[in-house]
Amino acid sequence: MKIVRKALDISFKLVEKNKFLSKFKPVLTALDGALFGTDELNTVPHITDYLDIKRYMSFVIIALLPAVAAAVYFWGLRVILVILVSYIAGGVVEVAFAVARKKEIHEGFLVTGLIFPLLLPPSIPLWVVALGVMFGVFFGKEVFGGTGKNIFNPAIVGRIFLTICFPLIMTVGWPKPYIGGLGGFSKFGVDAITAATPLNAFRSENVLASFSDLLFGFSGGCIGEVFRLGIILGGIFLIITRIVNWRIPFSYLASVAIFSLIGNNLAPLKFAPPSFQLLTGGLLFGAMFMATDPVTSPFTKEGKWVGGILLGLLTVLIRALSGYVEGVMFSILLMNAFAPLIDHVVLAVKYKEPKKVTGKLKPTT
Amino acid sequence: MKKKQYTFKGGYRFRRIEGCPRDMLTTQDIPNEVLIPLKQGFGMGVVSLVKEGDIVVAGQIIGRDDSNVSSPVHASVSGVVKEIKLSNYLGHETQIVRISTRKDKADDCKKVKGFTSDWAKLKNEEIESILYLAGVTSLDKSGIPTKFKSSIITPKDVRSIIVPAIGFDVYNLSQELLLGEKRVLDYIEGLRILHAFMPQANIYLALSKTDMQINEKLSEAVSQYGFINIISLEPKYPQGYDEMLVATVLGEKFPFGYYAANLGVIVLNAQTILSVYEAVVKGKPLIERTIAICGPGFNDTPHLKVRIGTPIADILKSYLRTDVSSRIVLENTLVGDKLTDLSLPVTKATSKIIALPENNKREFFSFLRLGVKRDAYSNTFASSVFPFCDKTLDTNIHGELRPCISCNYCEEVCPVQIIPHLLGKYVKNNIIDDSLVRFKIFNCIGCGLCSYVCPSKIPLLELIKEGEKKLAMEGIERSSSILPHFKLKGLKEYKGITTKL
Ligand code: SF4
Ligand code: SF4
Repeated sequence: MKIVRKALDISFKLVEKNKFLSKFKPVLTALDGALFGTDELNTVPHITDYLDIKRYMSFVIIALLPAVAAAVYFWGLRVILVILVSYIAGGVVEVAFAVARKKEIHEGFLVTGLIFPLLLPPSIPLWVVALGVMFGVFFGKEVFGGTGKNIFNPAIVGRIFLTICFPLIMTVGWPKPYIGGLGGFSKFGVDAITAATPLNAFRSENVLASFSDLLFGFSGGCIGEVFRLGIILGGIFLIITRIVNWRIPFSYLASVAIFSLIGNNLAPLKFAPPSFQLLTGGLLFGAMFMATDPVTSPFTKEGKWVGGILLGLLTVLIRALSGYVEGVMFSILLMNAFAPLIDHVVLAVKYKEPKKVTGKLKPTT
Repeated sequence: MKKKQYTFKGGYRFRRIEGCPRDMLTTQDIPNEVLIPLKQGFGMGVVSLVKEGDIVVAGQIIGRDDSNVSSPVHASVSGVVKEIKLSNYLGHETQIVRISTRKDKADDCKKVKGFTSDWAKLKNEEIESILYLAGVTSLDKSGIPTKFKSSIITPKDVRSIIVPAIGFDVYNLSQELLLGEKRVLDYIEGLRILHAFMPQANIYLALSKTDMQINEKLSEAVSQYGFINIISLEPKYPQGYDEMLVATVLGEKFPFGYYAANLGVIVLNAQTILSVYEAVVKGKPLIERTIAICGPGFNDTPHLKVRIGTPIADILKSYLRTDVSSRIVLENTLVGDKLTDLSLPVTKATSKIIALPENNKREFFSFLRLGVKRDAYSNTFASSVFPFCDKTLDTNIHGELRPCISCNYCEEVCPVQIIPHLLGKYVKNNIIDDSLVRFKIFNCIGCGLCSYVCPSKIPLLELIKEGEKKLAMEGIERSSSILPHFKLKGLKEYKGITTKL
């Protein structure tokens, strides 16, 4: 620990002296902050909570770990490489902007860099990963002014960009996951055998995959979305720790269930039944980890309900009626775009007359 | 009588924080010298009746002003007036009388005229006069109204009296200790005395729904008095604010920024009720108080019985830890006044002295710690899994300043249902206009919880206060958004009063 401290102090001195190196001070400050915390004191209030953004973001990463581990098992060790490429390529953009703006590096990228590769097909070429994450971070976040100011979830921006520019890579050739024994832990690349994803299978032949296959991830899909049990656990973990607000995942999933039930009764060949819809595609992953991104979803409580229901409706409709089999990404992107409007309307209604006095009563017995 | 239970949205309950005051009462020695500010508790400063060199007796009135809203101030020890000087007490200019103690007369105390244990025979006017002369009438946020201008309203205006017998703060005076032994009976007598001269007022006794022992004792004892309503509340911060008590107990809107007394409601704490009893039945003027020593910055955290005017440094001497430097805060752990001049005295309004260690040490991998002793609103530390460990507090900011991520914690804890991060963003971007008023910036009661929970460490409370100031500079005043909607009493008297001290 002392050695690290010394090394940092020396590098700070170096950076201070050298003109060119001094541009990279944000990198050093970020490292310093991550390792040693802060020595700043409060003014008023005199005390603050121990939770900081670093820990906040770390918890999202912890919640993603089951999905990541399962991804390596299903798709081979190459997944690790994909994640690394995403972190490095996205990190370069992040650092470049921090250096140019002379601002600190923000922790939000740690989550984006991990979520993004999990949204991609397992056989994705590495250069596509790099391109997608750079596009996402650049156009999804930095052009808006960085973390906290972005309107769209950067991971989704990158993903949609790839879907539109490289439709073939993104939609064709879903390998079968490795199952049994060491699985992908002993292999590098993905399996050569391909098979239709459950959603595709429903679209073309109207077959429903078995629930256990879906729950445990024994079917094709994107890297991180198939091990749904782990995603559900991760999501519940986030909700219990209060990192994620329960309103959006709950209203999203509930409205998918309700809308698909209605659709399934009207047109059973187009709309899959609710239980199948809930457990296929990227719905759970999207609902737990992406629609809940606090920056890009509506911030008012009522807005969260509205946003969740909107998401559910859009997802069911896109899945059933559009040219795409999966609608989660587009729905979330649209919800992101509408979030400011939703909040605006909610605020306008809630704070209509200036003097509606607050502090409502709630007798509990 | 049936107990009703009320709560409000938001707020936060601090559980098991290190340094809670112990159930033990020690009497602090009478100091060699006391400093008596002539403005104490509720009301304006009073005029000194003594001059340098005068000999005074404990309990003697040394300052009084019948023409302004105020209550008399007493000498708390017997001795000689050394000096009367205009000084600064936590931002207020006030005359401070310095009295050096004569140890041989330590136990002397002048009684208040007219007290009797058979108080039922007293006329209202006599009770009011005893309370006024004993100085009890300036206690708590808006004082006790009497016909002597001790509050901004008169006894006739009082509709409700709320008497919380629980603590709602991070640290609380132990009610068991205050009301233990025989004190419950005295407490009830105190309530009856208040009822005697304010018969039209409903008394609401607020009890905690967790503190069973004292609850039972009290509810049993008051059950025979029909004018006392029992209400049970959740012991979460900031329920103890007058604003929240009026809203939850009475279900009324509060004129934020004004006093509960403006509505005809007074809030009186247990210690005040006991002082009422002692003044009327025992003739005891208000010259001492029980205060709690709390916080991780102290070696020991007892309750102390101290003479008013005792310099705080005298108290700290024997309890403050020497291995860490601490920040001394009065009354409220979150937003209380920070004491920089330790020679300032304890006043009638002091009830807690809190020491928070100033932690400016950096910690290796601070954000990855397990955190058994760390308190947080979110359940991200081991402390939520092991709730039986005492948690610690210090003044470190515990993280770096980051942009708001709209996590909504601040909105969830805000007791008055405003959206702090929204207001914060407006103020930060310097958008100072009517929309701030529309989003109810003036409803903020300054509890500081929003800043406490923010993971991005944004100083929301400071931003909101800054916004209010800037609004005032643009001519948008609080009063214009409050006054048209309330029928407030005592507005004329309200001007110029500050409750600090
Ligand atoms: S608690 Fe802080 S980060 Fe969260 S919404 Fe409020 S201001 Fe923003
Ligand atoms: S906005 Fe005001 S009332 Fe609300 S939590 Fe913050 S300080 Fe307390």
